[in-house]
Amino acid sequence: MRRSDRRPEVKTPPRWRFPDPTRLWLDNGMQLMACHREGQHVAAVSLVFDAPLNAEPVDVEGVATITQRCLDEGTATHPGPSFAEALEDIGALLSGSAGYSGSELTLEVPADRLDEGLALLAEVVREPELRPDDVARHRTLRLAEIDQLLANSAHRASVAFRAATIPGRYRAARMVGGTAQSVAAITHADVVSFHERHYRPDGATLIISGDLSGREFGRAAAVFGDWTNPPEGYFTHEVPQQRSPRCWLIDRPGAVQADVRLGSFGIDRGDPRWADLQVATHALGGAFLSRLNRVLREEKGFTYGAHLVNTPMRDGGLISVQGSFRTEVVAEAASLARDILDLTGKPITTVEVADAVSFTNGVAPLRYSTAQGVTDRIAALVRDGVNVEFVNANFQALTLVTPDSATQSILELLPLDGLSLVVVGDAAALQGPLQAEGWPVVLHD
Amino acid sequence: MPSSDRLTYPIHQRTLGNGLRVVVSPDHSVPLAAVNLWYDVGSRDERPGEYGWAHLFEHLMFSGSAHVATGEHLNTLQALGGAVNATTWFDRTNYFETLPVGALELALWMEADRLATLPDHLTETSMETQREVVKEEKRQRYDNVPYGDAMVNVVELLFGVDHPYGHTTIGSMADIDAATVERAATFFRNHYRPDNAVLTLVGDITPKEGFKRAEKAFGHLPSWNRRVRPAAEPLPPLTEVVSRQISGRVPAAATYFAWRLPVRDTAAFDACDLALAVLGGGQTSRLHQELVRNRQVATGAGASALGLIGGTSFGIAQVRALPGQDAAEATAAALAEIDRLAAGGPTDAELARAKAQHAREWLTELARFDSRADLIGTYATLHGDPERINRRLEEVDGLTTERVAEACRDFLRSDQRAQLDYRQEA
Repeated sequence: MRRSDRRPEVKTPPRWRFPDPTRLWLDNGMQLMACHREGQHVAAVSLVFDAPLNAEPVDVEGVATITQRCLDEGTATHPGPSFAEALEDIGALLSGSAGYSGSELTLEVPADRLDEGLALLAEVVREPELRPDDVARHRTLRLAEIDQLLANSAHRASVAFRAATIPGRYRAARMVGGTAQSVAAITHADVVSFHERHYRPDGATLIISGDLSGREFGRAAAVFGDWTNPPEGYFTHEVPQQRSPRCWLIDRPGAVQADVRLGSFGIDRGDPRWADLQVATHALGGAFLSRLNRVLREEKGFTYGAHLVNTPMRDGGLISVQGSFRTEVVAEAASLARDILDLTGKPITTVEVADAVSFTNGVAPLRYSTAQGVTDRIAALVRDGVNVEFVNANFQALTLVTPDSATQSILELLPLDGLSLVVVGDAAALQGPLQAEGWPVVLHD
Repeated sequence: MPSSDRLTYPIHQRTLGNGLRVVVSPDHSVPLAAVNLWYDVGSRDERPGEYGWAHLFEHLMFSGSAHVATGEHLNTLQALGGAVNATTWFDRTNYFETLPVGALELALWMEADRLATLPDHLTETSMETQREVVKEEKRQRYDNVPYGDAMVNVVELLFGVDHPYGHTTIGSMADIDAATVERAATFFRNHYRPDNAVLTLVGDITPKEGFKRAEKAFGHLPSWNRRVRPAAEPLPPLTEVVSRQISGRVPAAATYFAWRLPVRDTAAFDACDLALAVLGGGQTSRLHQELVRNRQVATGAGASALGLIGGTSFGIAQVRALPGQDAAEATAAALAEIDRLAAGGPTDAELARAKAQHAREWLTELARFDSRADLIGTYATLHGDPERINRRLEEVDGLTTERVAEACRDFLRSDQRAQLDYRQEA
């Protein structure tokens, strides 16, 4: 019945490195990467196209999304629903997204069906049917989805925060999938044209992870090697700038909670302060007992969770406090969050830096233990124009972060007079208390 | 994918003197260890007046014990590179952390500390805070989200409020408010005990090391008479349609259909699971093809089965109408598909697809240390047989088209359904 009251010692984890993918370039410009992961029976494949949303014609924003969604509705080889059946027959799952800096298709497939999966992936990007009725249906579905997304308080807050921090002349200020107005304008011809220009081998990257046989590049070359590039399609990626701060209250009558976003335009992974900001973000709003969560959840019981979220883009980024609070405490919570972001006299500590570095390095082996984890990570970097070597370089950069450098990153990137606030909730109940706390909120639609 | 007979995740089991079941599954591919503790207590164990307590208790498990301060469990293990959390469900409460293997001993020590001493360290302050946090969780995940109360209504309709599965884990605000330190301590002592738990370790350790560390951390804890669960009475399928209408601020009208199903992971349940995949499991499913693609009366449609161990599981199908339209046409079309499946069962090709999808999903679940440990805990706790993770693919693969057709007839008929309709508030 004796128990040890002595806390066990922790042994330092071994140094761990992100796997270095093997690479091959096809003559048509397509890059291939492969990572062998022993025992990973489900292979994860990602095909990334260097097709930023700022390449969408402005009056039909959302066309990248509609194009991506129509791809698997049938191919020349497998018309109509027979394509989805061919995929599901081999136990594969194909999904996709059109992100701000590129479109991506991901394929999860049992490793012993990978060859067939790659052939179907090639079909879907090279010879999709893109039928007019599919375009019309996906346009309708996207319009319904916009209604559904905007009915979701958290989503609405994130959309508004984007608009509050990025000037409207940048595509990144608006929803990925386009607005109701722009989506309604998308025609079949727009989709066909977007596909022709932007689904092309040069600038595309195919990433394959899993328990691999070593024959994957040969297989990929066989199905993608004779794909030729269209003659035109030059574009550049936009470089968004910061908008002057906004303070918006968005009405959701009768809501029992309000979603809050408080923050600013941020930085991307290429900024020398990236590791500093990562550490500071963890200390302020990443860890369970981060400064924000400790006060707003564990001490006050105001929320299920309050976080500081750092979202890098290809150029720039977004940094915001995020939380959902019951209506009665929103104004107090927003002010407490602002006070916590003010590091004057309360710098990030040595312990906070050590914990953040140890956390980030320690969770990496788990995060990247599966084929999917590795492929997703590489794809996200490729989309944002970052070398895969960044992952290991960043582990190193984290060890150089000091309390001063972490503190400085917040002082520079989240200055108190540069913060935007977005609150989505019951405006009638929120406006008075927020203004009384000194937040100059205006009603925003 | 290995063919189904080739899944060979190693399983080593031992029961400590105090009744704690320990399962170790070595995997040396990454220098990590996943710790997973399944306590055999879920929302089904809450009596009237206690709805939401199992989940509230999950929160309190992070509020400090004899040698661990409030929030320290999570924070310390996170700072060592651990991914730490806990969840509550109808049939269980699980606590888990995946961390660098050098921190395994500390994690076990902390788990044992809260199991041994938590009720003596509950305070009114921590109760009060976590009551508020849980109420915020309910607002955020259920009350402030369109259709967020669907599951609450579905289980009420299917099981009745007095049945152990007739309420969801989030429970009731009034019951959460009524939880006191003393009553929470009693709830803890009834359910949190070595003989009511399974400890699973997956990762870069040997079975010998795993058992030694489990013994060192937990072996000294006392046990007493193991709680014996009364055998759960299976509920037969509904004999008439029960329905409920909700008017609310939802972006589109929607309909949920639900059925009582057999106990989880029986052949009959697995057959229903595959049938629901054929009905609404993906892009080739009947509901998607007919309602979304062909007739274009719905923006989305799906179906899935939810396995439970206490006598009866359930299955759900849902359709969402186009904005501004009522759901009558989508609902009628869905019912026609449900009737067609009940009458004729799936085709061979449909069933093969459903099995192929099931296999990939199963292998994906087993791919990560943390989810693999959770599956091992599931099968050890609910089925007494963690080895089943290696046999599940065969079990499902062996179901014939006739067997699935029979399950459709027996359990998934439209006259056996509960129906929940959301209408858009004017």
